[in-house]
Amino acid sequence: MRTRVKKPEVLAPAGNLEKLKMAIRYGADAVYIGGQAYGLRSRAGNFSYDDMKEGVAFAHHRAAKVYVAANIVTHEGDAAGADDFFKTLQVIGVDAVIISDPAMIMICAAAAPGLPIHLSTQASATNYKALEFWKKIGLERVVLAREVGIEEIREMRRHTDIEIEAFIHGAMCIAYSGRCTLSNHMVNRDANRGGCAQSCRWKYDLFDMEGGKAKSLIPEGGEAFSMSAVDLSMLRHLPDMIDAGVNSLKIEGRMKSIHYVSTVSNVYRKAVDTYCADPEHYTFDPAWEDEIWKVAQRDLSTGFYYGVPTEKEQLFGKPRKIPKYTFAAQVMSYDPETKMATLQQRNNFGTGEEVEFYGPGFVHFKQTVHDLFDENGEPIDRAPNPMMTCRMTVDQPVEPHFLMRKK
Amino acid sequence: MNLIATAESVGQAEALLDAGVDTLYVGGHPFGLRLPRPLGIEEIKEIIHLAHGRGKKVTVACNALMHNKEIEQLGAYLSRLAELQADAITVGDPGAILTLEELKLPLPYIYDGETLVTSAEQIAFWLKHHAVGAVAARELTLIELKEMQSRLEKPIEVLVYGPTCIHQSGRPLLSNYYRYEGMSERSDKDRGLFLRDPKNPESQYPIFEDEDGTHIFSTEDLSLMAQLQDLKENRLIWWKLDGVLLRGEPFVRIAALFAEAKQAVESGTFEPAGYCNRLKDLQPANRPLGTGFYLKDPKEIH
Repeated sequence: MRTRVKKPEVLAPAGNLEKLKMAIRYGADAVYIGGQAYGLRSRAGNFSYDDMKEGVAFAHHRAAKVYVAANIVTHEGDAAGADDFFKTLQVIGVDAVIISDPAMIMICAAAAPGLPIHLSTQASATNYKALEFWKKIGLERVVLAREVGIEEIREMRRHTDIEIEAFIHGAMCIAYSGRCTLSNHMVNRDANRGGCAQSCRWKYDLFDMEGGKAKSLIPEGGEAFSMSAVDLSMLRHLPDMIDAGVNSLKIEGRMKSIHYVSTVSNVYRKAVDTYCADPEHYTFDPAWEDEIWKVAQRDLSTGFYYGVPTEKEQLFGKPRKIPKYTFAAQVMSYDPETKMATLQQRNNFGTGEEVEFYGPGFVHFKQTVHDLFDENGEPIDRAPNPMMTCRMTVDQPVEPHFLMRKK
Repeated sequence: MNLIATAESVGQAEALLDAGVDTLYVGGHPFGLRLPRPLGIEEIKEIIHLAHGRGKKVTVACNALMHNKEIEQLGAYLSRLAELQADAITVGDPGAILTLEELKLPLPYIYDGETLVTSAEQIAFWLKHHAVGAVAARELTLIELKEMQSRLEKPIEVLVYGPTCIHQSGRPLLSNYYRYEGMSERSDKDRGLFLRDPKNPESQYPIFEDEDGTHIFSTEDLSLMAQLQDLKENRLIWWKLDGVLLRGEPFVRIAALFAEAKQAVESGTFEPAGYCNRLKDLQPANRPLGTGFYLKDPKEIH
């Protein structure tokens, strides 16, 4: 029965207010953000209460939702003040909080009754009984561990009606969620409290101790041992995720740029809408994949969804050549009379260059930069200064918040 | 007080009981995680029989992260353990806790969420869900452990000797590497493999692969021999000895030393220096002893 599918939510990361707005303009049904405490991205741009208010107002005006991650694993004293934090989030109108620590869950439930709680992937939910446990505690949703397969999700759905959120795109933690303290032991940085130093991506020697002496196993001229995984992308397999009953399709990357967030949201929005509108006649559009590659930083794979990852899903050796696109400018306004767009520069570009404009709804076109003017209307060859305002003639109509990229 | 030690076989279990261990910690695949050797239910039965014959206890490891398949098999396993009168199990998966509740088995559980057991409030949550104790994460300091125990009625188990797992991946990281390099090497625990961070030439992290994925351990074997008196005075009286990387007789000798130390602590005659020196003599040459996070200031970790 593929004719009646329940449309899942496209959930995008937002490191700050600008990214939040972009993600929503580009089709995200919901975004997840961090507050100034209790999140796992202590080094990401996080939201002040005022930013949160603005973000929530922006989102709700467009029927989108905002979730706040408060997924640290607390030590003694870390939870101090969390009750006020959750109360404030509730007043601000945040739609849910994402928590892994049961102490934080209890604090939240007591301080902000009615504020929906989602179980963070850090809590490693890998079976339907675990989902049922959290449902009985009163949670509305569980973010699955990254180690589950599609068939396992299908089976979970047969046994429980708690909402299921699953990662569909982005970098993958190599550890079983929450089972990594490499950073703690190597550099005194607690990964479970936002300090992850990505020690898994370092280069290691692999050796044995034959006869009491260390003997390296790394072959002559070989690669050092490392634990890096290629990134996840379930774009080609969205129908499987949707049919399995996943309610929320989660994109990783609160540290990523608006170029990334807008592009990925745009693609998944388009693919989900296309599939759900007519599942039986759905065909995959290779243009979506091309688009994803424009912001990819690593190779892409399907993680654990179709089996345990092999050496092909690890990052060994020379990275594959990924077409690098640069975010060049953002459209501020457009004059249909003159066909001129006013742009805010984000990276150096100039006349004669091939550029691509894209906007919400998966709108795209390529063109050459025919002309360029500074804010006083003086012709220029290049727009060299970050955030400078400039104007150019565009081949097709654009709108504010369209972005321009170049190879 | 409760001195807990892993056992890899019926024979070693008997030797550990003779050495003065109070509780044996055993388990099998796929429910128990990172054991010296996974034991079958018949061996577990024999070990329970042995222990109970001497008035000692057995805790069975059920602390794996379970997928649907395992959670479906778990009920029968737990029922069997209850029949065999196992004294307790360790559990880290809430799905296992729900299974236990549903079957109404007379099988107490100790919460063992590995790296996720880091505060008294968290443990209080699991106690409210009928846990009888909890295994502390090894990334805690003594200052934190004492604070936690002071807030809780039920005991927190502290690792006083052994390696600590610092990473578990669901991926076969060694096999993947071998395949990439075209090598045919063993990746099991007995192969004795280590990782070294080139920026820290002293480091040697044991690594192995099993059905649960890849496991990486700390450079040091933790030892709280010098702090045993302090632990007792702060009601931290569940002491675990982990033999996951140390086979046979050498582990038993270390357990015997800790049992002797425990008696000395109980009788007020404990003198740490002598015990620490004796432990050093028993310790395998290629494994340094250390105190991990225990003696750090909580503020050092950020």
